[in-house]
Amino acid sequence: MAVRPDNRLADSPMVPVDCRRCGASVLARKSTWNQTSVQWNANASARCLERRDAEHLTEHAERGLFLACSALTDSIVDAVRTGDLPVVDESSRVST
Amino acid sequence: MTLQPGTSETDEIRQIEAAAAPTRFARGWHCLGLTRDFGDGEPHSVSAFGQKLVVFRSGDGKINVLDGYCRHMGGDLSQGQVKGDEIACPFHDWRWGGDGRCKKVPYAKRTPRLARTATWTTLEQDGMLFVWNDPERNPPPPEVAIPRIEGATSDEWTDWHWYTTVVNTNCREIIDNVVDMAHFFYIHGSLPTHFKNIFEGHVATQYMNGGSRGDIPNPEGQPRLLGTTSVASYFGPSFMIDDLTYHFENDDQNTILINCHYPIDSNSFVLQYGIIVKKSQTLPGDAALQAAIALGDWVKVGFEQDVEIWKNKARIDNPLLCEEDGPVYQLRRWYEQFYVDAADVEPDMVDRFEYELDTTSPHEEWMKVVEENISAQAARSGTA
Repeated sequence: MAVRPDNRLADSPMVPVDCRRCGASVLARKSTWNQTSVQWNANASARCLERRDAEHLTEHAERGLFLACSALTDSIVDAVRTGDLPVVDESSRVST
Repeated sequence: MTLQPGTSETDEIRQIEAAAAPTRFARGWHCLGLTRDFGDGEPHSVSAFGQKLVVFRSGDGKINVLDGYCRHMGGDLSQGQVKGDEIACPFHDWRWGGDGRCKKVPYAKRTPRLARTATWTTLEQDGMLFVWNDPERNPPPPEVAIPRIEGATSDEWTDWHWYTTVVNTNCREIIDNVVDMAHFFYIHGSLPTHFKNIFEGHVATQYMNGGSRGDIPNPEGQPRLLGTTSVASYFGPSFMIDDLTYHFENDDQNTILINCHYPIDSNSFVLQYGIIVKKSQTLPGDAALQAAIALGDWVKVGFEQDVEIWKNKARIDNPLLCEEDGPVYQLRRWYEQFYVDAADVEPDMVDRFEYELDTTSPHEEWMKVVEENISAQAARSGTA
């Protein structure tokens, strides 16, 4: 029962972004300035310093959650500014 | 006659595609309900995972879950009696222990002690009874343990106010709610202002803040609702803990909402939800209980609205999503980990995925709808 690909990724796929702080490489996609998706992999999760700090702080909390890495968030914003990461154009059609 | 643009014969019609619901049942902890409903020393029949189970508290105090049918001649153990630490079959009084072994055949000289029936590992925690389901029959790994709920055992919180209902559809429908931001407006009368998902390992989380809808009534007997803050996580395939705060005009009410289910078969499941409310200065004992009932009934209406949709909708494996929808495909990829052998779990099923939605555009549209509804209501009451 393979899960299908997201139809929205056909026209604007996720693109690689490297974190300026730790070098972790993730895939990111921005629909708008305020809408971002981030796909991590095990290697990126292991490298992320903020994540390590968060885990250290919440190791006794059973429902401790790591919300986001601020350095990675900044790196994604930078990637948009430099044109490496496009923001999905509002006028573009959603691929069917 | 002129053809409208985009309706030419060459445009392919998009078809809804759906494979049959899986016949396999998810690996993971499933909550069967409150221990107080199973712990009375009587056998209870539960239909789950395509089978009939018997649940009983034995003399040693432990709650046991066994296959419901006696391996001797197929008697229904849930119609039998608890005798000491064993369940006795109503047909020929064969005795079965919580470990699944035949312990005694009262009329026989020798007991077939090597004979075993199917058992489920159980967990009693925070007033709830859980069973571990694994088609590979491995024991539960400690890292997928259900987290403790502090308020559940505290005098500062109410007891569980609990609901149970049968839903006749495959349980993937309720999982989809984790990411379905827009349905909270159209189905549940919420007004999402912030929405984010994170999936990682066996946990899928939804962060949602909601404003108040001026066009729909408040929870019965409660002060005016200004909004809600919610952090809701599935721990495994079926058990969600929702840290849900209601912001009323006079005070905040902290609640924990459980949303859990277990499959009866591929096309039906038992939906259960329960709420506890924190007592406070403005909400002492009885008032907190009243609030738990009022908020629980409010949630009940919400689930009934879901059920009405599920009853009539089509199963769909290829949903057509717009940018303002949540990560349905990525959620289903996460969910898939529970339906494959542990050795076949792919990294992308458990790797961290974050998705923050921009609610600006939906919110603009929804405020217009709310205003229109308020105007229409005012017009109706003016002419009444």
